[in-house]
Amino acid sequence: MGKYIGIRLAHSLVILAIVIVLVFIIARLIPGDGIMAAMAGSVDLHDAQVVERVRHQFGLDQPIPLQFAVWIGQFVRGEWGTSIGTGENVLDMFRSRLPITLELFFGATLWSLAIGIPVGIIGALKRNSAVDVCLTAGTIVGVSIPVFWEAILLIYVLSVVLPIFPPSGYVPFSENPLLNLKAMVLPSFVLGTHSGGLLARYVRSSLLEVLGQDYIRTARAKGLSEPAVVARHAMKPGMIPVVTVIGLSWGGMLAGAFFVEAIFAIPGLGRMGVEAIFQKDFPVVQATLIVVSVNVLLVNLLVDVLYGYLDPRIRVRP
Amino acid sequence: MTETGPIGLVAPPISRRPPFALLRAVVRYRLARVGLGIIAALCFLAIFAPVLAPHSPYHQDLHGALAAPSRVHWLGTDNLGRDLFSRLLYGARVSLFVGIVSAAVSAALGVVTGLFAGFKGGAIDAIIMRVTDAFLCFPPLIFILAMSAALGPGLHNVILSFALFGWTGFARITRGQVLMVRELPFIEAARSVGVPPRRIMMRHILPNIMAPVLVAITITIGTAILVESGVSFLGLGAQPPTASWGKELRVGFAYLETTPLFSIAPGVMISLAIVSFNFVGDGLRDALDPRLRGLG
Repeated sequence: MGKYIGIRLAHSLVILAIVIVLVFIIARLIPGDGIMAAMAGSVDLHDAQVVERVRHQFGLDQPIPLQFAVWIGQFVRGEWGTSIGTGENVLDMFRSRLPITLELFFGATLWSLAIGIPVGIIGALKRNSAVDVCLTAGTIVGVSIPVFWEAILLIYVLSVVLPIFPPSGYVPFSENPLLNLKAMVLPSFVLGTHSGGLLARYVRSSLLEVLGQDYIRTARAKGLSEPAVVARHAMKPGMIPVVTVIGLSWGGMLAGAFFVEAIFAIPGLGRMGVEAIFQKDFPVVQATLIVVSVNVLLVNLLVDVLYGYLDPRIRVRP
Repeated sequence: MTETGPIGLVAPPISRRPPFALLRAVVRYRLARVGLGIIAALCFLAIFAPVLAPHSPYHQDLHGALAAPSRVHWLGTDNLGRDLFSRLLYGARVSLFVGIVSAAVSAALGVVTGLFAGFKGGAIDAIIMRVTDAFLCFPPLIFILAMSAALGPGLHNVILSFALFGWTGFARITRGQVLMVRELPFIEAARSVGVPPRRIMMRHILPNIMAPVLVAITITIGTAILVESGVSFLGLGAQPPTASWGKELRVGFAYLETTPLFSIAPGVMISLAIVSFNFVGDGLRDALDPRLRGLG
């Protein structure tokens, strides 16, 4: 097991190195220096001296490999730079927005479990029936429809036509817990339906596989009732994909949060990311890309290790 | 299913399959049939948009802006008084074009890289696979959004950004398939009679790995349509006055309370397009996967 984890870890470190290089390249792709583009409004770009000073201030006059080394060093030490757009410390920006996005993700995960598990189980138990076909169609639709459209539809139905939920806005939990939760219902539902649909499909196929196993036939043969077979024998192994899907959907949720937070005006990481991308605020864009990819990398590593633990066969051939 | 049983139609992964047999196999799946129907309809609308559209999609009439549906404007008008129905028809062109071209470019890049990696093996393979692993750490939408922001607005940059990300999936699929196929006896036979490696790759391996690539292309078209509409929704991608569904949705959102159709109708089109490609992709996958044959 130790060797297996070691190999996985080394593997992840190699990938991390490539990710960092990729992010650096993307940030440098912004035409005519990201900083120059972002500063176009505030400084006189026709004055060569001013341009030179700004370039020097941000280290853009250094050779690219040196810029890369300096940037990595600062990043590791937690000096993520200052936002070009707001002038804030980037690390502080992350700290203040993270809890809001986490609340959103937590709600979305609850929704996706509440949708995905029952739908998947029903689909597996009634497979190939009309109910199953409808549920399968429903899950594909749930996975396919764009989050931004789903959000707009829900706002129209549940905020404009029937004014139950606020159409947008965010209230801190510490200020008014009830309003906070009310404002979070629609955004978290929109985020959750996508991974919920995905989860339903995985639960269905995994449960179908388990239900075909010999020991399920044995359980049936010894006279257990169908609910007991499903609940006692099939559910536990059939639920393994839940861990994976929930873990892996967090990366997708962050992409969804870019839209959901922009539409519902929630001041979290997603909205910060969108704004940074539009303002070519590349310290923030870089940091966002790295935080996102490291998060995905860690979850993947965790899932790999968990699987190696659960299934000894995987350990042998990493 | 009277003359040929399901086994005859969906052959095991290693065999050449006439395209029509594959199509017939897919059509057996109810949802795939629905999907194919919708795709055909969308293609029809896109191709014949100039004939079918009752108005020019660019003709502005500021006095008749944000009109409700009427006999003249079937879905009403947008904020500049342009006919919404006509704009949606032209939007089908944008979405399908971007979707198909993005998927095709991604597939071309990815299949070549994957073939190369799988066939050569060794260090080249390891490097290419680690790079694709790294790409997989980014959520596609965020990566493509950042890329198209860096490259600047415009649909061509959306396609470029998409392909820069999309090739990785195809490379992985192709490589996996190549690893399976290259050990088979007929490849060994070809090698032993002295067929040059390039010819083995193109003539003997490539045709035998196309099935899963086809599934991936179908699903990727749907993803690309989603990404285009998403990027255009946020303001990059399609620029005015191009009639893009994502752009339309964005502008319409501001008028949700007064003219809900303005944002709801483009959303219906985007969703229909994505859902139909996913239905077909799903059917294709099931049709090609021998393990699922009994389960349906």
